[in-house]
Amino acid sequence: MLGRTLREVSTALKQGQITPTELCRKCLSLIQKTKFLNAYITVSEEVALKQAEESEKRYKKGQSLGDLDGIPIAVKDNFSTSGIETTCASNMLKGYIPPYNATVVQKLLDQGALLMGKTNLDEFAMGSGSTDGVFGPVKNPWSYSKQYREKQQQNPHGESEDSNWLITGGSSGGSAAAVSAFTCFAALGSDTGGSTRNPAAHCGLVGFKPSYGLVSRHGLIPLVNSMDVPGILTRYVDDTAIVLGILAGHDPKDSTTVQDPVKSFVLPNLIDVSKLCIGIPKEYLVPELSSEVRSLWSKAADLFESEGAKVIEVSLPHTCYSIVCYHILCTSEVASNMARFDGLEYGHRCDINVSTEAMYAATRREGFNDVVRGRILSGNFFLLKENYENYFIKAQKVRRLIANDFVNVFNSGVDVLLTPTTLREAVSYLEFIKEDNRTRSAQDDIFTQAVNMAGLPAVNVPMALSSQGLPIGLQFIGRAFCDQQLLSVAKWFEKQVQFPVIQLQQLMDDCSLSLENEKLASVSLKQQ
Amino acid sequence: MWARAVWLALRVPLGRRRGFTCQADSQGSGRITADVIEHLERLALVDFGSREAVVRLEKAVAFADRLHAVDTDGVEPMESVLEDRCLYLRSDYIAEGNCAEELLQNSHRVVEEYFVAPPGNISLPQLGEQLPFPTDSSSHSGKGIPHEHVEEQ
Amino acid sequence: MAAPMLRWGCPGTRWALAGIGGGFRHRRGASIGSTPNPTREQSTVAQKPLHTAQKLRKGEHKWAAVVGLEIHAQISSNSKLFSGSQVCFAAPPNSLVSFFDASLPGTLPVLNRRCVEAAVMTGLALNCHINKKSSFDRKHYFYADLPAGYQITQQRLPIAANGSLAYSVCVGKKRGQLVSKRVRIKQIQLEQDSGKSLHDDLRAQTLIDLNRAGVGLLEVVLEPDLSCGEEAAAVVRELQLILQALGTSQANMAEGQLRVDANISVHHPGEPLGIRTEVKNLNSIRFLAKAIDYEIQRQINELETGGKILNETRSFDSKLGCTVPMRDKEGKQDYRFMPEPNLPPLVLYDSTTLPAGVDSQQVINIDQIRDMLPELPSVTREQLVQQYGLLPEHSVTLLNEVGLLEFFQNVIKETRAEPKKVASWVLNTFLGYLKQQNLTVSESPVTPSALAELLDLLERKAISSSVAKQVFQELWRGQGKTAAQIVSEQKLELLQDPAALEQLCLATMEEHPQVVMDVKKGNPRAINKLIGLVRKATLSRADPALIKDILEKRLWL
Repeated sequence: MLGRTLREVSTALKQGQITPTELCRKCLSLIQKTKFLNAYITVSEEVALKQAEESEKRYKKGQSLGDLDGIPIAVKDNFSTSGIETTCASNMLKGYIPPYNATVVQKLLDQGALLMGKTNLDEFAMGSGSTDGVFGPVKNPWSYSKQYREKQQQNPHGESEDSNWLITGGSSGGSAAAVSAFTCFAALGSDTGGSTRNPAAHCGLVGFKPSYGLVSRHGLIPLVNSMDVPGILTRYVDDTAIVLGILAGHDPKDSTTVQDPVKSFVLPNLIDVSKLCIGIPKEYLVPELSSEVRSLWSKAADLFESEGAKVIEVSLPHTCYSIVCYHILCTSEVASNMARFDGLEYGHRCDINVSTEAMYAATRREGFNDVVRGRILSGNFFLLKENYENYFIKAQKVRRLIANDFVNVFNSGVDVLLTPTTLREAVSYLEFIKEDNRTRSAQDDIFTQAVNMAGLPAVNVPMALSSQGLPIGLQFIGRAFCDQQLLSVAKWFEKQVQFPVIQLQQLMDDCSLSLENEKLASVSLKQQ
Repeated sequence: MWARAVWLALRVPLGRRRGFTCQADSQGSGRITADVIEHLERLALVDFGSREAVVRLEKAVAFADRLHAVDTDGVEPMESVLEDRCLYLRSDYIAEGNCAEELLQNSHRVVEEYFVAPPGNISLPQLGEQLPFPTDSSSHSGKGIPHEHVEEQ
Repeated sequence: MAAPMLRWGCPGTRWALAGIGGGFRHRRGASIGSTPNPTREQSTVAQKPLHTAQKLRKGEHKWAAVVGLEIHAQISSNSKLFSGSQVCFAAPPNSLVSFFDASLPGTLPVLNRRCVEAAVMTGLALNCHINKKSSFDRKHYFYADLPAGYQITQQRLPIAANGSLAYSVCVGKKRGQLVSKRVRIKQIQLEQDSGKSLHDDLRAQTLIDLNRAGVGLLEVVLEPDLSCGEEAAAVVRELQLILQALGTSQANMAEGQLRVDANISVHHPGEPLGIRTEVKNLNSIRFLAKAIDYEIQRQINELETGGKILNETRSFDSKLGCTVPMRDKEGKQDYRFMPEPNLPPLVLYDSTTLPAGVDSQQVINIDQIRDMLPELPSVTREQLVQQYGLLPEHSVTLLNEVGLLEFFQNVIKETRAEPKKVASWVLNTFLGYLKQQNLTVSESPVTPSALAELLDLLERKAISSSVAKQVFQELWRGQGKTAAQIVSEQKLELLQDPAALEQLCLATMEEHPQVVMDVKKGNPRAINKLIGLVRKATLSRADPALIKDILEKRLWL
């Protein structure tokens, strides 16, 4: 049941094959069993069960609210949830209980979805590994999959199995792990530079970043307002389309949502690929790209070509500046967005009370981790009067060049761009933490980040397993507000590649493993 | 056919292609002066805390400096991808408020229906001189009666 | 810019603090503290230079002051600039606060249409160019009553720019001459107000009330075209009248709806401008003028005695009547302006650019707002001069005193007396009484109808003008009697019967033969004495001209 598509489960619920409460309990028990993954910061068991009960009543009366009624979902812990602690994985917001729901959360709840909990992330979503949050790193469920374990046994690394677990990617790693481990059917992530697509690629999921302005950010605790979008993580493209259909549309509480009426996001089962023009940006072929990803990318292009699509090489000449440009714009907005965290109205507050400034400074020192503090300081540096023109304005100009690159390509007749999502499959935690956060982000966001500059929709679709038995995904990038077309192509591709389901039976059955791992996880779990 | 093109491209020795995962310089530039550091700490109310943090900023700045290689003559800065869209306007109705209790619940220090801050108007560097009982704007105010501070606009 | 020369060292031309009291009055209950002692204020500053000036060489005595103003006017709207919480002057603490106003993470600004319209309307009234595209910026600084750590304002591309404001100041010996001047307006920007901090020094804490946080403000930035406190006061008063006429702000300074910061520097004409100081938070027009004049004088003193002016922020201490440095504004500030990423540019239209088929609630048409502009005070004054033949300075006073114009017009409506006569009564007698007792027009015990009735009696010659003054005094005591009742009860009617009057004249002549002799001897002043005696006998109820006629006839003059 848990591995089915959203529509299948919805049908099962309607037909009474399973009740929302049963479904909810199954997911809750799985959350318990996979606790060591550290996917959730808060499990909202009571809330979920109560919602399930209400959903059950509706089903009994034959008054289901729609496809999402009774469906377990998870939400990244940087979305505001009324009455449920929202931490951004930061000491700064530990204990903060928002009095309101983010618009996207409200929309899901209005459809009868069951909120299982709030998922882990890098502190304030600043990172690409889901390793830099105050509640510890998220572990990639694939570390424990049959597919990976078998390959590991063939090539022993000498390192102990348990310390050699893989990262999920990030920063929406908790949401990715939650969906990947079958603890929910869909999860909300956020995507500023690839934070939804990157963990989706590492966890073998569909990770969708909608067009900027299509989905409300109200209640999403911002990283970079001009690039953030709520992201959707599911196991299937159709599931994403269903969730998008619910989330999309103008929100009077978010002035950056467009006022045009939204069209349906239902995806056709058959599309005529031969009418498509697929662009392959040559700048995405970089030396650091792993040969496996490279060959899958090439295979995917072949696949489209063999079905009659026009596949052409295109150029996005300013891509190589995207990361630097992002670095400036992101840190600057972070410097600004983080100014509100001072301990006065909400969040952490230090014990110092000699003056307002001293209290603020100590609160901010205690509340933010090194990464956040570092970005605040860099951002403030770029915004100084004497630096503003040279750095911030310069970056905004480069941003236009990057966005124009995409406009030019799409104007030349390209419908969808096909690129890798990540350089390689997921790496182990020990490997990952060798580099500092900024360098890692710079490496990991390279294929995903430019899209946020231009506000375009993009989606990771898992394609195949690597020789290590780990997922590799490719990214499709669409025209602004052509999200439905993009997902239609993604759905077609998904159908062609038949990506294997993660095999976690052993993990789920093996209680000893989860116990053993719980000890490990306890080091990094909540330390309140 | 497409595959062949990619493979051909890949046969070009990798070393000649400039990747865009630019590695940051391993060393900081050392050009961030102590004055700037102090200034930033005071503006941001975040301290560097260590030499490493300063090096991190220097690296971040050195990284950012790469952007100067881009020719942006005549290019307008881009603030938002929605720059051509109409800004949404709200009608002048009262739709929010009356939620003091909800708001104050999240605050650590509250007196009646007020948020409570420590005494204000003392900047960080002055603190050392003024401890333990700073009296800031009280010099021209009533005696212990709450008074409004001179506003910043 | 040709600023008037300020000189000192010459007796009698001391840098004057006068001229403000005539037009403006410190309102009762307004703002902070008690009324300062005027003698003390002046003595603290203005005497010092008299000693030093002697040592200076000629030519060094001339100073010019350069004053620019930044005026914050709270927009009169139901809800705040970016949130749906209520705008109200007095309410329980933090009761008018939305999640956005408290800067809860994840909340976003949504622009209030009304505030945009108010800004456009104000811009048009101040002859500004309205920018078809404007944008919002974040201005960063930490303050306990600024919850987001930044204020949303319009630094780069304000909604209106390049305007001007005409105003007039009184000059001349008796300040009876009106001179028209003009100040340029640099820009008008929309921005958020901050919350309020209440410093409780006893308990070493600050109480934060965010009710005001996020209220829409119009910041009107003037070019430094002014040269003294009086000009600044006149400009601010005129702006206040305009805002009130437009209804875009209640502009009540006592309630903080209009707040002024002044940038002040002095220099020798022809030389580069001096270093300026900023005097913040001037919350009454009287204090504004005082603070500016004090600060000009302080800077001159400082420079004359070899001191230096620091580029600093100062506040006006209304009790001491002087400006003092604001300690919390020390240190290098950098607001790190950045575009507000949550608000795309604000686009305005005119009738030619209005896109078809859009939701009319979502577009603002500048031309439509222009058509709705109400009559501005300058036009009202001109009409008073034209319609009623009033002096320009009288029209100024009628508008400057709150409620006085309305009072005047209501009297006009109900009386047959000539408008000029009404103006004279309203501006001299009525206003005189108000000022003497420190009352506002609305607090006056005399209603427009009561005054109208009195003026009618005067117009019908039922009473003399001196009796009218007497009756007015009775009315002012407010014992609920009408003018007619007072006149009839106290028998104050003018003696209209010629025979009775003649009788009285003869009786007076008989009683004062010596005075009659004087008249006959040709002493011209003696007749006046006789007239006075007769009037006294009539209890001032007779027309002196009539008495004179009778007396002259009887004395065969």
